[in-house]
Amino acid sequence: SQETQTPVDTSVRNFGGGVQSYFLFLRFLVVLNFLSSLLIAGFVIIPSIVFRSVEDIPFNSTGNQSYYWTQTFYLIRPGVGLVAFYNYFLDFLSGTGFIEYTYLFYGYYKNPLVGNINFSYNIPLAYLLTAAFYLLFCLFCIIARLVKLHHKIVFTGWDYGSSGHRATKLKQQNIYYRLQVDLEEERIKKKAASLTQAQKAFLYSARIVLFILALGFIGAATNLDQGVLGLFYEYLPSIVITAANFIVPMLNDQLAPFERYSPSITIILALFRAVFLRLVSLISVLFSLWRQITCDNNTEAANCETCQYNVKTYQCWETRVGQEMYKLTIFDLLINLAMLILVESPRRIVVDNWPNKLTQWVGRQEFVVPNNVLGLVYGQTVAWTGAFFCPLLPLINTLKFILLFYTKRITLFQNCRPALKTFRSTTSSFFFSVILLLGLGLASMVMIYSVGVIHPSMACGPFRTFDTMWLVIPTAISKLSQTTQEFLFFIGSQSFSIPLFAFVMLCYVISLAAVYKKSVTLMKTQLKLVSVSMDCPEHSHLFYVMTHDYCEVMDLTP
Amino acid sequence: MGTTASQLGKDLLSEYQELTFLTKQEILLAHKRFSELLTKDEKDVPNVRVPMERILTLPELKSNPFRKRICLVFSTSEHKDGSLTFEDFLDLLSAFSDSATMEIKSHYAFRIFDFDDDGTLDCDDLQQLVNCLTGETEDTRLTQDEMRQLISNILEESDIDKDGTVNLSEFQHVISRSPDFISSFKIVL
Repeated sequence: SQETQTPVDTSVRNFGGGVQSYFLFLRFLVVLNFLSSLLIAGFVIIPSIVFRSVEDIPFNSTGNQSYYWTQTFYLIRPGVGLVAFYNYFLDFLSGTGFIEYTYLFYGYYKNPLVGNINFSYNIPLAYLLTAAFYLLFCLFCIIARLVKLHHKIVFTGWDYGSSGHRATKLKQQNIYYRLQVDLEEERIKKKAASLTQAQKAFLYSARIVLFILALGFIGAATNLDQGVLGLFYEYLPSIVITAANFIVPMLNDQLAPFERYSPSITIILALFRAVFLRLVSLISVLFSLWRQITCDNNTEAANCETCQYNVKTYQCWETRVGQEMYKLTIFDLLINLAMLILVESPRRIVVDNWPNKLTQWVGRQEFVVPNNVLGLVYGQTVAWTGAFFCPLLPLINTLKFILLFYTKRITLFQNCRPALKTFRSTTSSFFFSVILLLGLGLASMVMIYSVGVIHPSMACGPFRTFDTMWLVIPTAISKLSQTTQEFLFFIGSQSFSIPLFAFVMLCYVISLAAVYKKSVTLMKTQLKLVSVSMDCPEHSHLFYVMTHDYCEVMDLTP
Repeated sequence: MGTTASQLGKDLLSEYQELTFLTKQEILLAHKRFSELLTKDEKDVPNVRVPMERILTLPELKSNPFRKRICLVFSTSEHKDGSLTFEDFLDLLSAFSDSATMEIKSHYAFRIFDFDDDGTLDCDDLQQLVNCLTGETEDTRLTQDEMRQLISNILEESDIDKDGTVNLSEFQHVISRSPDFISSFKIVL
């Protein structure tokens, strides 16, 4: 649309091409999150709301253990008497209290099959499949974004309906920028693919160093929770990130010499910088949660003996994980807003109104694209990790990113100065997409582990009667008719999938042959016409006839 | 055959309706707009041919970077000067109309992009095409290296028989995979 395009276009001229990539990336994430929230709403939330009124059906078909817990086991501390307003505010920020037992978190979703004789809806199955599909959908979108097709812009890019000199000029500029960006991507991809021996050795050693650093960090984080105030520990991830915001630009400057030498090292180094400094805080949070929920993976420990998860501390551990991710999302947004209001704006006011040596040296805030993108990837990874435990999180993330889009635009034009050194290789959207894939991989691993290994809470959620969440699928399959089961097993077996693959390849080859055949026919026709028109000049009008009907031409040749 | 009067005869109208993809209203509107381009003397001449400069004053074509190529492609003049009769004009609108098929549109798009009229899109054609798309102003011109890289990418993606040019069927194969082509290849008066 014209409205969002003009600020982005002017940002290119003033701040460099990387800024445009950032805003385009942010827009992509908004759309992705919005579509995901629609998916989840349609298959999980709305059916849950609709079938809420149906009574719980006692379930006793999952193996030798049969449990039937009512909601009364999982209690939230009720508000007694007058609850101060700030309590509501704190509860909203940390996902506890009044907001905990709502559709926001896993714990509220009810149990199994609902419906009547004619129609039944297996909510746990829908929940699991929707989550899996959601991650696959995101994977597909990211990869689709990686593939660039140049001919698409060149052959089909022009809109013949638009008229007017100004519209044409804008369109031409737009096409020019898109081609530029695509060509740059291409070059970066090619360079990233080629590494010499020495570069590879350097890469491996850098990788090892960073890994050791990460381990040390995780160790420090997990030791902290024993002695320090619980509140401080809860805010630790956010503090780390804010600190990283200041440290990473300094690191950028230290490694600048390398950036001048070889683009490929730059890219890989930047990648590892990104992954370890931003995502390691998230990994440490997840790791400590895991340790508490599974009692250090020790099912013999006192708390974990009865239910194979820490039922004493977490009556509903999935909600707890969801709350953590919800908190991280909210704090990330608040910190971004706080930075804008409390740091960047005052900085601009001070620098502009009190010019002296100190303020000139500090200068205005620089809009460093890689850091901002890492912030987006971090936020998105948190949303992916938490989506299974907090189904409304993609929707919250959509709103968060929309808010971020507008605040970043404001800060860009009002508070920032153009980056002095634009590290072109680290502002490519290929690079952003690759880190995003890493984040998606992390989130998928968390989900697969939760679904396949940890025992679901028995007091809450749609999976309370299963040993692991994964078991809902074999159970559902076993309910299908015998023929359907045999059919499904057959499709999965080798005797079907290999011929299917061969068939697909055959279709592709045939379509390719069809294109060749058409090309050959056309050339033959053209040859005939050329010879005809040369022999009989009065038949040169046959070229015109040919455009309407090929058959006519063939008949008319002597 | 011909448009002598300022009004279009009924048989002629239905004949045009059959031969093109245009509706009755579109043909009448085209006739009105075409007549506005004629001088007083030309209005009585049968099968009058309007020179390209006057066709290009139409607002729908005026700022289109491919306007000259469009006129040259649809012109049936022996001198290849881009001048159009009313029937050429109807052919033009028919190909750019809503109901024209993908085949017709991609065929004409190919001919428009074929700047040297040799039946294939070679490097020079593609270069001119890209220059038209980006406009040849100072800040929107691609450098020689960028142009070479872009053209080699396009050929890599579109040239199936690897002969260094894109012929009509390769072009149509590529276009068929873009569903938004039909809606963007449209001119409505």
